[in-house]
Amino acid sequence: MDKLNTKWSFALWILLVIALVPMFTPQGRADRLVITALRISATPIGLDDPVWQRSRTTSIPVKGRGAFSDEAGVVETRALYTADELYFLFRWDDPTHSTTKQSWVYDGKKWHHQPGNEDRIALLFEIARIDHFATRGCAVTCHSPADLPREQWRLATHTASEKGDLWHWTAARSAPYNYADDAWLTVAGNPSGSYRETGRRKDWGEGGDVRNQTPDGTRPLYMPNPRIVPSVPGFLLFEEAAEITDYSIFSPGDVIPFRLPRKPSGSRFDVKAQSRYAEGGWTVMVHRRLDTGNEDDVMFLPTRNYSFAIAVFDDSGDDHSKATLPLTLEFER
Amino acid sequence: MKPPEPITTTKDSRQRFRSDETKTLALNDPVAWLKRITVAGDACAWNRFVGGVLLALVVLLFLSGAFLAFYYSPVPGAAYDSVDFTLFSAPFGSILKGVHHYAWNLLLVLAIFHLARTFVAGAYRKPRQLTWISGVAILGLLPLFIITGDLLPWDQRGYWSTQVRMSIIASIPFAGDMAVRILQGGALTGIVALTRFYVLHILFLPCLLALLLAVHFYFVARHGFAERLNGKQAADHPIAFFPRVVNRWLVLFIVTVSLIALLTYYWPPPLGDPADPTDSTYVPKPEWWVLFLNQLVAIFKGKWAILGTAVIPGLLTLFLVGLPYLDRSPGNRPAQRKTVIVVAALLAAVMIVLSLMGYFEHFGLPRQ
Repeated sequence: MDKLNTKWSFALWILLVIALVPMFTPQGRADRLVITALRISATPIGLDDPVWQRSRTTSIPVKGRGAFSDEAGVVETRALYTADELYFLFRWDDPTHSTTKQSWVYDGKKWHHQPGNEDRIALLFEIARIDHFATRGCAVTCHSPADLPREQWRLATHTASEKGDLWHWTAARSAPYNYADDAWLTVAGNPSGSYRETGRRKDWGEGGDVRNQTPDGTRPLYMPNPRIVPSVPGFLLFEEAAEITDYSIFSPGDVIPFRLPRKPSGSRFDVKAQSRYAEGGWTVMVHRRLDTGNEDDVMFLPTRNYSFAIAVFDDSGDDHSKATLPLTLEFER
Repeated sequence: MKPPEPITTTKDSRQRFRSDETKTLALNDPVAWLKRITVAGDACAWNRFVGGVLLALVVLLFLSGAFLAFYYSPVPGAAYDSVDFTLFSAPFGSILKGVHHYAWNLLLVLAIFHLARTFVAGAYRKPRQLTWISGVAILGLLPLFIITGDLLPWDQRGYWSTQVRMSIIASIPFAGDMAVRILQGGALTGIVALTRFYVLHILFLPCLLALLLAVHFYFVARHGFAERLNGKQAADHPIAFFPRVVNRWLVLFIVTVSLIALLTYYWPPPLGDPADPTDSTYVPKPEWWVLFLNQLVAIFKGKWAILGTAVIPGLLTLFLVGLPYLDRSPGNRPAQRKTVIVVAALLAAVMIVLSLMGYFEHFGLPRQ
């Protein structure tokens, strides 16, 4: 009878252990793509660091909207993180290498803007919860205010308590300084008026670019400083520019950049980047400290998941983009 | 003018004061009363600690729940933000939220285990029928805690799981719709529903649970432990409730807290995306304890739906409650209760098979 006692007890304990297993069963998930950041100890040196091969590639579909709804593509995404830094590596096809950004060209008589704009990639995270962002993604911020026609939509949140963190890598303006412009998103400046301002706000610090034009907007104001060797060939940095004093030195066909990148600093320079255009596509690495200590930045905790969205822009200076559905960033622990 | 009389104390008055002081401040009487209580020696047997762990988990759930209530705001939207703040910003918030999360899972598993062990031991039979019935009532109360608690974070999983549960309840003929309206305060799951679920979760259900626990312990104390499976009597030698049993329970409590805290440290509790009632793409997955019921709902459809939603679960509950009166076996040992054991084993097998079917249906496929 003691044996019977032991048998029953043993069987019940086995059942108990089996019953505990389902406690760790996932409880459901929307049909969303998850980008898992792999924990590493050493920082990746660059775009070709072998450590990237250890992380899983997620193919994220991107799709145009409105009049461009037939446009589609894929952004191959990898993510890594160290004790204090988060890294993303993006690769997407782009048949045209666009960094012109409306450069000036001289025809012998007048200055004109060249056709062509720039390629870009933008990421949006939540600093404070943005209503429905987790389920609808950028649509809730790009299509704002919803009661206005599409051409009047601005990038903004609906209430001041909602805050987004915007990382904006631009091939012509931020790439020369190896960063992605760090901004934040809030409610539009004048939401009740007839003209709705954008909700985009710059993080504190310097950066961005200077429009290279005279006050009347008819010709460039700056040219490359002849005493300085350009640090980034093909680009004219504002810090390396000199004001034009004599326009007679230019010959027909001369080209001068229209947007001059400014040296970034402060919180605006939180997101560092490296990039390369090759084989008909862009490869861009962006990385940022998990916690910058700035209120205008999302703080990443490896214990939690983050909703975010990506948009890529092909030779575009406006909202002509291809965007993802909402994505989830999770940290492998 | 006459001077005031000096205050003097006599030996008698001092002794009387000391005696009163001892009675009122030193709490000698309650301690002495506790020390006089004896319980069966089996209360400290190595294989009799599940009930103690269950009590530890209930206390843990009450304490962690009280902490979470300090930060919680029962308003849609704000509810999610408050839970998010608790989880990721409040000091030790993640640990306490995790303790609350894992403790109820463990409570349910151990309560089922406790019930199974009691069943195998035949401890539901006379004179312990009411001990068993109060235990079944406690087990029946736990899903109500889970149902009301799931909605509180106002995340996608909680919101959509509630929708599924409400639709199942609403499908019950006659009383279904009314029950949903009473629970939710209307047809939709909104601020009224959240407030009602919150009040039920932190006030009514805990009071009911405390009452049922008191009843359960009363009958345990009155009728003692059941005989062991080998037929020997449980109470071979009585032991003092205080401090021996109390100390043992405190050790169990500390061990339980430590294990769950470790669990939550390495596997933080989940918090999904904020609830979006307009997002129909979210498909909630049933939790492990409800998989077999979910399969019943999936099997019986149309006019037969009532079988899965009300009849079979109702009969199962009736069987558990009525078991002490249905079982006419000659003795308590399993070998003497073959019919009941076979019926219960069949029922358990069906529930396990249904649960496995549900598991493979919802979780069996690899993640895309």
